[in-house]
Amino acid sequence: MSKEIVKEEEAPSLSSVVSAENRSLGSLRSVRWRLNLGILPPSPSVDDLRRETADSRRRYAELRRRLLVNPHVPKDGGSNSPDLVMDNPLSQNPDSTWGRFFRNAELEKMVDQDLSRLYPEHGSYFQAPGCQGMLRRILLLWCLRHPESGYRQGMHELLAPLLYVLHVDVERLSEVRKIHEDHFIDKFDGMSFEENDFTYNFDFKKFLDCTEDEFGSQGNAKKVRSLDELDPEIQAIILLTDAYGPEGELGIVLSDKFMEHDAYCMFEALMSGACGSVAMADFFAPFPAAESHSGLPPVIEASSALYHLLSIVDSSMHCHLVELGVEPQYFAIRWLRVLFGREFSLHDLLVVWDEILTADNNPLDKDSGNEESSGFKILNSLRGALITAMAVSMILSRINLKKFIAMAKSLQILALGSKISSSSPTFGVACNRSKSAVSGYTSSSGSVSPKTPLSLVPGSYWEEKWRVLHKAEELRQDSLHKQAPSGKRRWSEKVKLVLSRTESDPSPARAEKYKKGHRSSVRRSLLEDLSQQLGLEEDTETGDCFDASNLEDCHSLEVQVEGQNDTSINSICTAEEKCESGSGTTISEENSIFSDPASSGSSTNDHENDAEKSSVASNLSSDENDDCHQSNREYPPLPVSSPPKDVPLNYPHENESSGHMVSALKERRNLSGRFQWLFKFGWNNVSQEASDKGVINETVKSANRDSQSNTADSSTAGAPRNSSSTIQRDVVDQNVMGTLKNLGQSMLEHIQVLECVFQQDRVQVRDNLSKNNIVDKGQVTAITALKELRKISNLLSEM
Amino acid sequence: MVLVLALGDLHIPHRAADLPPKFKSMLVPGKIQHIICTGNLCIKEVQDYLKTLCPDLHITRGEYDEETRYPETKMLTIGQFKLGLCHGHQVIPWGDLDSLAMLQRQLDVDILVTGHTHQFTAYKHEGGVVINPGSATGAYSSITYDVNPSFVLMDIDGLRVVVYVYELIDGEVKVDKIDFKKTATTTHSAH
Repeated sequence: MSKEIVKEEEAPSLSSVVSAENRSLGSLRSVRWRLNLGILPPSPSVDDLRRETADSRRRYAELRRRLLVNPHVPKDGGSNSPDLVMDNPLSQNPDSTWGRFFRNAELEKMVDQDLSRLYPEHGSYFQAPGCQGMLRRILLLWCLRHPESGYRQGMHELLAPLLYVLHVDVERLSEVRKIHEDHFIDKFDGMSFEENDFTYNFDFKKFLDCTEDEFGSQGNAKKVRSLDELDPEIQAIILLTDAYGPEGELGIVLSDKFMEHDAYCMFEALMSGACGSVAMADFFAPFPAAESHSGLPPVIEASSALYHLLSIVDSSMHCHLVELGVEPQYFAIRWLRVLFGREFSLHDLLVVWDEILTADNNPLDKDSGNEESSGFKILNSLRGALITAMAVSMILSRINLKKFIAMAKSLQILALGSKISSSSPTFGVACNRSKSAVSGYTSSSGSVSPKTPLSLVPGSYWEEKWRVLHKAEELRQDSLHKQAPSGKRRWSEKVKLVLSRTESDPSPARAEKYKKGHRSSVRRSLLEDLSQQLGLEEDTETGDCFDASNLEDCHSLEVQVEGQNDTSINSICTAEEKCESGSGTTISEENSIFSDPASSGSSTNDHENDAEKSSVASNLSSDENDDCHQSNREYPPLPVSSPPKDVPLNYPHENESSGHMVSALKERRNLSGRFQWLFKFGWNNVSQEASDKGVINETVKSANRDSQSNTADSSTAGAPRNSSSTIQRDVVDQNVMGTLKNLGQSMLEHIQVLECVFQQDRVQVRDNLSKNNIVDKGQVTAITALKELRKISNLLSEM
Repeated sequence: MVLVLALGDLHIPHRAADLPPKFKSMLVPGKIQHIICTGNLCIKEVQDYLKTLCPDLHITRGEYDEETRYPETKMLTIGQFKLGLCHGHQVIPWGDLDSLAMLQRQLDVDILVTGHTHQFTAYKHEGGVVINPGSATGAYSSITYDVNPSFVLMDIDGLRVVVYVYELIDGEVKVDKIDFKKTATTTHSAH
């Protein structure tokens, strides 16, 4: 056929166009998603796409015909007088048409309940009767097809964005049609009827002559030079919607007539996982899957995977949540079942789903019989890991969409790595990381410290840390980290939680903060207040980033200022302990108390390190994250104090940077908590950003301190950068001149250490296979940080 | 797709104890949108029971009803159809088609539902339909003792009504179906 001949001739160019299309399908979300979900084959040929589309649509039409019941219509092929005893409206017979009709009506009622409340903010589209009808039918048919799962609330929210992207693409198509009307018309005619219709041919040639362009779709597309960059996409759109291509109208990939069919196919693929590992339908199932190892319903299992990952990333937060008795499924069900549909606005959600769907869903672990390796089914694929990672980053950082996604990606890798270890050991490991002795999560708390009831669980844990910290202090004269955190940790439950939240402040904020100098004076005053009011109780649970950041700053400063001997520290500690009723003050005091006087500078570094870590955890700017990540990872083997050395060394490779991050984060949190009251005190003037940054830095520093005693302190790497910025700010106030000088000295020390570590890390980094790129970046960052640190120390020494 | 249940002349508790169990098992709540009852329930408990099947209940007064405040006749519109309801003892001769047609014209309805004879009948008459659902319990009437329990379910869908007749004959439920289509003109004209 001439058509085919035409196509063959164009085949080479077509394939090039197609490959271009694949690149350019970027803006055609529905096509991209269909590719990702496996509805459309990954083949580059447009023809295949069209054929698949047509097939899937046919399947849906058949399904609809079969399952949607109209009791008035007589049965196909049946006698004209069906058995009325069977088929009357009141028939109790479940097989009767009417019985099915009523069952469908009930299902529809249930579905309608949800649909009427779907996306009211986009009601103009979603609440329109046509759209509602489509959604209702799709959901009804899917539920009829899968009676074992039935309809559950939330399925409609999974379906709505799918329909929306189809709608958007169809609109895009009509736009393109309007703009490129000529192209469209000519293309269709030119391609299909070139040989047959001379009039068309003539017009086409004339058209071509005018445009002095070559024949072919590509040529037409290139007609308008200004649209060059759009051309691949336009070509894609045009080819995909050619009514004369294979399968004719049924094959038009972007078609509003068949939106319902396509949406059904996408929904089905999403729910069933398309033979992948993550099937959304599982999340709605109340019963454990047949091959589940844990015997839990899949969504519960996924929630525990989420906690598992969280424990790696941010184990103090995890401990805190566990202690409070917050089961992950309380919030995770809502996130997982709707793939975060209720957490983001529609357009943000589309971006998030882009990421999720791009992640491959093939099971990574083919050997499903292996108990150990398939600890969490959800982590068995890239997509599942990404979803888990996103859930964790939802907890830790949600300030900015980009950062959220970047953080999720970094955590995804973590999640994939973590699935090797089973859940329980990991928890233990997480706890152990911070201190050498693990008393377990539920271990006795009582004897350890006069903590508030809150810190029951890790009471002994914290005490251990504190003891280790103190032991390490002397050993860590030249170390980068401070010991303050251990004490802090004791109080930290709430604080940590708060801090972790606050830590999620964007690192850029922190960076800026550090660069601003005005904070320093405030901070110093705060520090002084802090020292004066050790016994003050403050409610640390402000959860205010501002406070947290301030606390951080204060903390670092305080550490510098206080440089007290241990005895005073101890007394302060006890005082703090009394005060501790969830207030950050005590913690801050502890921090100051425990901070190594000599390591005031290092505390700065720690802060920065912690900040780095927190930035990693909180998904600050992605590059920073990467840097921190890298630097964190690089530095884990560099324990500041000898005792922690063992721990960090054990961890870096196991848990990548997560361990470091966790420890840093924990420390950070401790610090933030303590400083919160400080901030409340007199911090109001400080800009939010600055305080956030300060807090983060401080937390980093404190975390560094803690981490030094506990775990690998990769934060030090990050710290230098932050500390340098912090230090700049500190320059102003004269009260802390001395502190600054100390800072400078410690900075120099830290720089040296960092450099050593850096070199060490280079070696160590090699072990991290997947992060080579990041490692390099991290190294570069660390080097830059070191330089800044040098400058700062010079400044300080000049003072 | 409106389901309307038409029944009457139950005569509970005087002449019958209850609906036949097979009928009772078929009448489940949720499926029926309207119930029209010709009368002679006779007691309030029956009305309550019918209310549980469907909240939209219309009753006209039969001569043995103990509730005196039911109306003699009732008119309602369901979909495209106008329905008229009357017990029928007022129309003499009882059960006579022409007299009932007179009542139908008087009420100006498409479907007239009456009872009292305890016999199921359904006439197409002058562009309208006259239906007698019989006695749902099979209670004896003033005229005869030989009564089969029966009732009527109407499926009103646009301009078409399908009448399902449920009769209990020899202990078995028999179902029959009658189709009526309304002409496009809104009112029937007797020409």
